[in-house]
Amino acid sequence: MAKEYVNPQLAPTNRPPRPVNKKMRLKESGGVASWLMLSPSLVFLCVCSIYPFIWIFRYILYNYDGIPNHTRFTGMRNITTMLSDAKFWGSVGVTFEYALLKLIFIIPLALIMAVLLNQKLKGSSFFRGVFFMPTVISSSISGMIFTFIFATGNGILNGILKSIGLISQPVGWLTDTSVVMAAVIIMSVWAGFGNYMLYFVTGMTSISEDVYESSRIDGANGVQTFFRITLPMLAPVLKVVLMLAITGAFKDYEAIMVLTNGGPGTRTNVMFLYIYNLIFGTGSNATRQIGYGALLSLVAAVIVGAVTIVYNLVAKKLDDVV
Amino acid sequence: MAKNKAQIVYSPRQKAIRGLLWLFLVLFALLVIFPVLYIILGSFKQNQELLLGGSNIFPQSWIVQNYVDAWNQANFAVYTKNSLLLSVGVMVISLVVSSMAGYVFSRKTFAGKELIYGIFTAFMFINVGSVSLRPLYELATQMKINTSLWPVVLFSAGGGQATYIFLCRGYVNSVPKELDEAARIDGCSFFQIYYRIIMPMLKPVLATIAILSFRQGWNEYIMPRVFTMTNDSLRPLTVGVNMLKNAGDGAAAWNIMFAGATIAIIPILIVFICFSRYFMGGLTAGAVKG
Repeated sequence: MAKEYVNPQLAPTNRPPRPVNKKMRLKESGGVASWLMLSPSLVFLCVCSIYPFIWIFRYILYNYDGIPNHTRFTGMRNITTMLSDAKFWGSVGVTFEYALLKLIFIIPLALIMAVLLNQKLKGSSFFRGVFFMPTVISSSISGMIFTFIFATGNGILNGILKSIGLISQPVGWLTDTSVVMAAVIIMSVWAGFGNYMLYFVTGMTSISEDVYESSRIDGANGVQTFFRITLPMLAPVLKVVLMLAITGAFKDYEAIMVLTNGGPGTRTNVMFLYIYNLIFGTGSNATRQIGYGALLSLVAAVIVGAVTIVYNLVAKKLDDVV
Repeated sequence: MAKNKAQIVYSPRQKAIRGLLWLFLVLFALLVIFPVLYIILGSFKQNQELLLGGSNIFPQSWIVQNYVDAWNQANFAVYTKNSLLLSVGVMVISLVVSSMAGYVFSRKTFAGKELIYGIFTAFMFINVGSVSLRPLYELATQMKINTSLWPVVLFSAGGGQATYIFLCRGYVNSVPKELDEAARIDGCSFFQIYYRIIMPMLKPVLATIAILSFRQGWNEYIMPRVFTMTNDSLRPLTVGVNMLKNAGDGAAAWNIMFAGATIAIIPILIVFICFSRYFMGGLTAGAVKG
């Protein structure tokens, strides 16, 4: 900057120097301070986000079990293993099944509850708080709570169903492959629908009251009002919420890990859980496959990304049609 | 159906429908509360009763021995201390780091700003799952800081910072720049403007961030689980109570696990009840701004 500084008295008259200099000085002030203030978040960004991401690429072609000098370059072997890894592709299938089922239940439920709360019934804000409450509980703890509820022998769900005579034999909610997915879905819908409900409630408050009033004057009933007014006017919010819900559902694994740990067998083994066990697993086959896990993580991230892109394309198409 | 200040008169039929809807909401609310109620009430039951099962959610006789046992024998005093350290640590670091970064991003123009901002955004969407914990774990081991809970605090705060930075930046944007200029004329430096002018005005958004980051730290599970795999005395509640479940004799200690799970959810529920406004406000603000 010193080089650019020109004594005003010597400056060429065709370029007024004062405003320029003033602007420079204002911009200059706090240059060092601003970098210092930004540095903690930049360090965090580098260490917690960029470094792990690069680290993954370093290991995708390696065999690595967590002991530093055991690292071995294996060429394309991880990739060929992946292509024929039925367990992995099975877990991808489970992820899609889980995500689809979760969305089918959680979105309509959140929407219905939002509509009901929007009716301004007595205690609406209390109900809103109650419905949102599960989302503040750690997913590990909610997984645990449902392990107790769904327990076969002494779980309270079987106890209640038995006492009202719906079942005679206890149901193996977490041990029977035909019902375990239902148990997982119940838990994840319980734990998550409050989030989406709140987005819908917020979206609905921005719909003008006049629209409802005129529809009432025209004699629309509740159902008509919902399909003809609320839903179309909520479309932008719905699109965002669906996107969040889709990516969220594909990333779930913490609560499932606690509830079923992927079992029985691999019935609820979603892909991120499978990968977790490859990288941090302490099971009987304690041979960790970190390099392979890194490759699968990347593939999983690409799958989630692809689903998001497809969803966006479909949403755009629907926009054109409607 | 309307929120006009003028009272709306409902026909008897509408009243009946609204009554039914209300009843439905009450029933559904009970259903939502049930799991939490079950775990809290169950923590006062005797283990014998828990292992027997049945359909009664109220204890036959109320006992607090489970809490005494959990606290003294099952290490829950240590877990609770760790949980507090983790959540308060993440909260303080998040507040300081994100408010400074949000302020700089809002007020400064400098080379590479867009690029840095873009990287922040990109990493909000890139999710590779638990694998990213592995390099962080190895980093902590190499730096020999893995004998404390601090790496978990730091990495958790670092992983969650993007949302909070966006929240702060959005809020600082809405503070008129004239305030900065007035302060500068009065002789405030860049940092002093942040500290004396911006910070006090950021209070609402800082409250939201405080709540959200506290919850983040309190509920963190996978990361502390990985980092404390071999060190029981560093575990927070979420991990400690789950390790009890995984232990071979877990089936026998239902009462301790119920008490432990209750200890893990009660504080965050109290925070939620007191500050539910910020919880819910933060969620939607983050969605709009992020």
